Amino acid sequence: MSGPEVLVIGGGPAGVSAALELARAGIDVTLCEQGPQLGGAIHRQPNDATQSVRVPRSHKRRWRALSDELATSTVKVLYRHMFAGIDATGAVLLEDRMHARLVTRRPTALVLAMGAIERVAPVPGWQLPGVVTVGGLQVMMKSTGRAPDGDVLIAGSGPLLVALAAQMVSLGKAPVAVLERSTRPMSVSVIASLLAAPAYLWEAAGYLLTLARSGALPRRGAFVTAIVPKDGRLSVTTLDRNGRERQTLVDRVALHDGLLPNSNGTTAGQHAPFIVRAGDCREVLGGAAALADGRLAAGAVLAHLGQIASVHKGAADALARERQAQAALNTLFDYSGRDPAELPDETIICRCEGRTLGQLRALLTAGDPVSPREIKLNGRFGMGACQGRFCAEWVASFVASQRDGSSPPQVSEIVGSRWPVKPVPISAFVTLPPSSPSE
Amino acid sequence: MAVVGAGIVGMSAAHFLSRAGWQVTVYDAGVVASGATGSADGAVSVASKKPGPLMTLAVAAVKFYEQLVATGILVDEYLPRSTFVVASDQEELAVLERHAGELEAAGVPIRMLRGAALMDVIGAAAPAAIAAAEVQREGHAVGYRVVERLRQLGGFTIRRNCRVSGFKSSNGRITGVMTEQGIESTDAVLLATGIGSMHFLAEAGLIRPRKGQLIVTDRAGADSPHFPGPLMSCRYLVSKGSQPAGSTAASRSLGLVIDPLRTGQFLIGGSREDRDDRETADADVVATLLRDAVALSPSLAQLRVIRVFSGLRAATRDGMPIVGNVGGADNVWIATGFEGDGICLGPMIGRLCQQMICGESPEQDISALDAARFGLTLAAAA
Amino acid sequence: MSEIQSFLFEGTSVPCTGRETIAAALDRAGIRVLGTGQGDCAGRYFCGIGACQACLVEVDGVRMEACLTPARGGLQVKAISLVSP
Repeated sequence: MSGPEVLVIGGGPAGVSAALELARAGIDVTLCEQGPQLGGAIHRQPNDATQSVRVPRSHKRRWRALSDELATSTVKVLYRHMFAGIDATGAVLLEDRMHARLVTRRPTALVLAMGAIERVAPVPGWQLPGVVTVGGLQVMMKSTGRAPDGDVLIAGSGPLLVALAAQMVSLGKAPVAVLERSTRPMSVSVIASLLAAPAYLWEAAGYLLTLARSGALPRRGAFVTAIVPKDGRLSVTTLDRNGRERQTLVDRVALHDGLLPNSNGTTAGQHAPFIVRAGDCREVLGGAAALADGRLAAGAVLAHLGQIASVHKGAADALARERQAQAALNTLFDYSGRDPAELPDETIICRCEGRTLGQLRALLTAGDPVSPREIKLNGRFGMGACQGRFCAEWVASFVASQRDGSSPPQVSEIVGSRWPVKPVPISAFVTLPPSSPSE
Repeated sequence: MAVVGAGIVGMSAAHFLSRAGWQVTVYDAGVVASGATGSADGAVSVASKKPGPLMTLAVAAVKFYEQLVATGILVDEYLPRSTFVVASDQEELAVLERHAGELEAAGVPIRMLRGAALMDVIGAAAPAAIAAAEVQREGHAVGYRVVERLRQLGGFTIRRNCRVSGFKSSNGRITGVMTEQGIESTDAVLLATGIGSMHFLAEAGLIRPRKGQLIVTDRAGADSPHFPGPLMSCRYLVSKGSQPAGSTAASRSLGLVIDPLRTGQFLIGGSREDRDDRETADADVVATLLRDAVALSPSLAQLRVIRVFSGLRAATRDGMPIVGNVGGADNVWIATGFEGDGICLGPMIGRLCQQMICGESPEQDISALDAARFGLTLAAAA
Repeated sequence: MSEIQSFLFEGTSVPCTGRETIAAALDRAGIRVLGTGQGDCAGRYFCGIGACQACLVEVDGVRMEACLTPARGGLQVKAISLVSP
């Protein structure tokens, strides 16, 4: 096929949906997926089809439809291709793990559908082996089709906590406890808003019923205050809503404090291709919205290419509906995490380099409005291998809370917008042909 | 005293001026160390210098760093160590021997490494090297960390995101600094504005941006080869320095330095490009540098590129910095155009500026840097 | 069910199926510490989607995320111990 090439990054529902919509319009589309399979975190497929995790029927249907269409479409799929960023010349850099090399592409347009960033608010001990994100544990369970070994405590806030707990129960293992920080009540107006997207209510009801049957309903208003290693396990200190402290010995702790959009990698320089973000990467609205958002992103690309896109009224409506439902859902949860004032100085903030809250506080005590860039450089927050994905947002809001509000730091000032957006092996880099024309 | 520019030169000058009794305010259009200081390689080094005033000043600047540590102004911001200039073939060896001779003649302590001694010191890091000159008594300082230390020592005020748009003058003297927030009165001005200096000067094209790209790797494994100090390929000598700015319209040259950082990471540089003035990096330059780096030190292939960045050096028309009084206003001084030597020379230049401004005779001969050689005057708008 | 193979982690044989990731295989084998890491942050599985970089291991000499890398019989997987700063 000749003509403009469009590159779609991310093989979750948003990316696949965007790629299919573009292919339907006759565009030459290549879909890049970092892992060995498509599906993203939400539609992670089991390694062994006979062992699978319980997922809502609507999710299954959605993915089945996408993967069936993809199989007969003209979309080219590149597996194990990591998006590394866009360089000054506008070249899109892809690390090809299949062939241990770096390749460049010069697409006309780029759709970034890399999914959300899972947020975990710092708590002492969250860097220990055995402490994982709720999403991380769920992804592992979905691919292995087995409940994790050992005793599991789930804590934080958000609908994902009960989803994980119920999926564990369905695999024959209830978590030791589910601690939901929020005490916010379900109101009539929230229910009314959720009725716009009733799938959420059904999904939640199903999960809660499962948990009720196994006695693992979430303890609302409870949260983790510290995790320490003990006898090869993890001793977790928790506080309940009445201020009662408790120690629990477990093997794993799964933490989650919401999801954030992912703005990494959108360096729109003067030579860069036309860039659109889609799905949770752009706005965290979940899987159903990702489908619609992928189509809208494709529509934006088609418009950029001068093609008249089919009317996306349906997709826009679906997105609006999901946005309303998510907003209602979010009022039920409390993503604030532990109050920084309650956190000891030793609390790790940067998980890559072990930088602590004490070191961050020390940078801010001088009575001088230190800039985000200075915090980054001198505190090394956001300079580790994860490029600030797990600390920058928290550091920015912490700094803002310590100031009078005159100049709240932007997360982007800590993360920066440079490539590579993920570390790239030098052994792959050196394979790049000198002054390479695009592939 | 108004110091314009919160880079290493301005902050060093502010430090010494405040200690000399001045009430100092540092203005910066951005934040602290947001220009070349924040994106420099941090070499406090004479290894790449050609004989002449810059080499003499660099030798003194290294001693000045040692003095700053001895007096407690810097604590662990300066890391003394040797630089290893490496030859990989006969052609490079000829360049190496000539260069080592020049450094030695200037009084720089040099140890030539060949054969068993070479293998012993850098054999693990650079197995293909055929000879190396160990340039002793040099060091490394991270520009933004030096500046942060000076900020913490305090004694002066920093005004971030406060662009100086010009000056108010009366009877041939500057009496005020114009900013968006209004005019603030001042008795004297030091321009330490790097690439931004042209805004204040009447002479067009005197200072041009010379871009450099640098690579940072992740941390080496505990079992990886030991690097005793930075390895500098002889080819760097061809690339570095003495290219007057703007001599070629779109030139770029690469020179390889592999610098083991204290964190266990490596800083790999760098380029000198007169192509554009944007702080961006391109994969072609990075891949070329990495290919050269892996050819010299194969163990680097096990690491990952974690960060790539670029900075803009302030290169002058004749390749020499500009330090001195600005004509047309007898209370305005300038210290700019350090190109790739700002981290090395910055603290000492700050000290020399303070001496000049206080009417003392500077403890180093900086007549070769005198602003008068260009007949500098303030821009009309300034 | 895929055929059971095995790879070596720090010299220990770890069974794996053809489709799972190195992270999943290590977890099933009860291996939770994947390297020394730095600053009190040992190498470990965390986010599962390649974002946090905490599960980095050396696979046949190249550093990669255990959570994104398919396990395969015969791989040499090593924990990464870093130079302490």
